[in-house]
Amino acid sequence: MTGISGRRRERFPGFDVVAQASKWDPVTAGSVLARLGPQPDVSFFTPAERAVAAALLDQLLGQHEEPLVPAAQMVDARLAVRQTDGWRYEDMPEDGQAWRDSLSALDADADGRFGSGFVTCSPKEQAALVQAVQDLGSGDWHGLVASHVWSLWIRYGCTAFYSHPQAWNEIGFPGPAYPRGYKNPGIDALEPFEVRDAQPSDNPVRDGA
Amino acid sequence: MRGVRARNESAWLLPNDGTRTSHGLRRGMREFADDDEVDLVIVGCGAGGSTLLQRLARAGWRVVALDAGPFWDPDADWVSDEAGSHHLYWTEPRVIAGDDPIPMGSNNSGRGVGGSMVHYAGYTPRFHPSDFMTWTQDGVGADWPIRYPDLRPYYAAIEQELPVAGEHWPWGDPHSYPHRPHPVGGNGELFLRGAGRLGITAKVGPVAITNGRFGNRPHCIYRGFCLQGCKVNAKASPLITHIPDALARGAEVRPDAMVTRVEIDERTGRATGVHYSRGGVARFQRARMVAVAGYSIETPRLLLNSASERFPAGLCNDFDQVGRYLMVQGAPQTAGRFDAEVRMYKAPPPEVSTEQFYETDRAKPYQRGFSIQTVSPLPITWAEHVAAQGHWGPALREYMSDYVHWSCLGALCELLPQAENRVTLAEQTDQRGMPVARFSYSRCENDRQVMRAAQQVMEDILRAAGADEVITIDRYAHLVGGARMAADEQHGVVDADCRSFAVPNLYITDGSVLPTQGSANPALTIMAVTARAADRLIAGARAGTG
Ligand SMILES: Cc1cc2nc3c(=O)[nH]c(=O)nc-3n(C[C@H](O)[C@H](O)[C@H](O)COP(=O)(O)OP(=O)(O)OC[C@H]3O[C@@H](n4cnc5c(N)ncnc54)[C@H](O)[C@@H]3O)c2cc1C
Ligand code: SF4
Repeated sequence: MTGISGRRRERFPGFDVVAQASKWDPVTAGSVLARLGPQPDVSFFTPAERAVAAALLDQLLGQHEEPLVPAAQMVDARLAVRQTDGWRYEDMPEDGQAWRDSLSALDADADGRFGSGFVTCSPKEQAALVQAVQDLGSGDWHGLVASHVWSLWIRYGCTAFYSHPQAWNEIGFPGPAYPRGYKNPGIDALEPFEVRDAQPSDNPVRDGA
Repeated sequence: MRGVRARNESAWLLPNDGTRTSHGLRRGMREFADDDEVDLVIVGCGAGGSTLLQRLARAGWRVVALDAGPFWDPDADWVSDEAGSHHLYWTEPRVIAGDDPIPMGSNNSGRGVGGSMVHYAGYTPRFHPSDFMTWTQDGVGADWPIRYPDLRPYYAAIEQELPVAGEHWPWGDPHSYPHRPHPVGGNGELFLRGAGRLGITAKVGPVAITNGRFGNRPHCIYRGFCLQGCKVNAKASPLITHIPDALARGAEVRPDAMVTRVEIDERTGRATGVHYSRGGVARFQRARMVAVAGYSIETPRLLLNSASERFPAGLCNDFDQVGRYLMVQGAPQTAGRFDAEVRMYKAPPPEVSTEQFYETDRAKPYQRGFSIQTVSPLPITWAEHVAAQGHWGPALREYMSDYVHWSCLGALCELLPQAENRVTLAEQTDQRGMPVARFSYSRCENDRQVMRAAQQVMEDILRAAGADEVITIDRYAHLVGGARMAADEQHGVVDADCRSFAVPNLYITDGSVLPTQGSANPALTIMAVTARAADRLIAGARAGTG
């Protein structure tokens, strides 16, 4: 697994988390490296739902170029074994059903607005559909509170994406740290295996990402 | 430290060969039969339950603690990874409602031996003397049936057992800690710098993380994964601070045992034991006394589910007190952006705190206050913070790629106890057919004001430290209450000694009993309250009144 390539400018050139895997304890390595191999062949979604979920998650996570983190597969595997966060809003069904309902609602929106399923909409159209859900805030969306749907999507999406070493490469995070630990904490202090940000003043807030 | 070892040998019973679990101790553990009437059965092996187990085992009681989750082995069961730690959390279904529903799961409660302290951050401040009398002093909240001096010796004792590291503590009842303060990472450095420039006093600590060796527990390696369970045995949790000593003194810990009901003899009105489910088999443990310590959600849930002819509205619920006055702390997090690299993951998240804004300030429109601490989220939790600003798609990725430049502080705001913030039983049931908890929560105006004030101070500190941008996310942390202690049964569920008003041989010894929450993280206080209750129980038994 190599660093993120293709998208924008790389901030941590050459940084490769997995190159350090021999320094991780075996239990952690097993758990993290499993994310790079084939995902378990269990599925909660139907193939059609899986396709909508994949398109939605790629939108939410800005995944428009290879290599992609298999976010939909990771979400699907979680739902298949009912690995929830242990709570749901009272006005939402259990997470699996909520995913199902919201994917079908998204497909219905796509059809109503662009006369095509969500998957076959252009990326721009998909983005507009997703934005429309966020814009509803706590308003109603197909009988669900839009912000609660948004929370579900973003939560599952980010948990999948930012558990992947490929995403860590992109943000400069070295991942597992046992048993090695860190020897150089502090401002601007690096470990030998960390890579300094090549664009330290590329501030998304200031520059309006 | 010789004094500690004589009272609690846990740290010396752990292996010193680089592994973390004394398997021999567990293999040799005493086991009671279900129909053996033990002196006490404890429900839940977390902060409160484990402390009680250890104290009573030391006093020679025949005690067993049941926990719904596993008997963790840090080597085999825990990982140095965020997503891989999901199994540490209580993820059975719960329903959240109210005007400000509180997300649970990873953010609130744990399962397995050690309880939520397995993945707590590790801050262990004391409550202030004012916390025990907010009603008298500030006209809000409630007075406890005990006062700070009742807990002082227990605070000091537990601080030695964990042990706690930190600077001399100038707030509340000023005190010192057994271990020196840890060196700080980038996040702590910026907090100290910003606070210093504003004339705000901030101190390093107090954290239950060994600084230097303690028994066979090694020094912290500053790897930042405290909220994922400490694979080093440096951060304290009852799994390593109280369970080993309890086992060595003849206590039993029975993992993977979910208690579904407390049984009451309808004739005598006394508890006779607990029904539990283990390996899919329904079982019943007989006991002379029962203590419930399942966390502020599961404790009320269990009581409400233990309705009987004598207690039609739920056990100990004659006065509709069970499940009420549940509290969370407002825990807004404010992050600041620096051109320098902070890399806040390179240290334990708990480093530095200030309690300067803890007490009621008559010049402010609100009562009570807040504390501020470093928090240092890892990438998944940080993504939540960023996404809460509304970012998604390419903007989310762009922000996230900036991770190493951010510093993050969290406030703990004292939100007031209110009767309507409560746990009830939902219609939905879990896999065993037991109704799940429904937790309804809404803030009052005072709560909103305190949270806004805390956010302002955090923004000021980060800007003073040199941040050019700040972003905030509203969060909540630390559930306590739900079966509070009070002067009488019309205002609470247990008395000052954690004994339930309704059932003389039923105790509640976890965070549920707290009537107020202060702006301090609760684990130390939960352990201290329990250690005091244990002393009273032991003394009562000796006197023949137990
Ligand atoms: C992310 C996070 C960070 C935190 N950080 C801090 C911090 O820095 N400082 C601090 O002081 N506090 C912190 N806390 C809170 C602290 O961990 C809890 O307040 C404390 O552990 C609660 O103690 P307790 O005894 O009430 O319950 P717990 O410690 O949660 O123990 C309850 C136990 O009971 C078991 N149980 C529940 N129901 C049943 C049943 N029916 N049958 C059998 N077993 C059952 C559970 O499996 C669990 O092991 C944090 C919490 C979280 C989630
Ligand atoms: S930072 Fe220290 S205390 Fe925290 S998990 Fe790592 S070794 Fe344990």
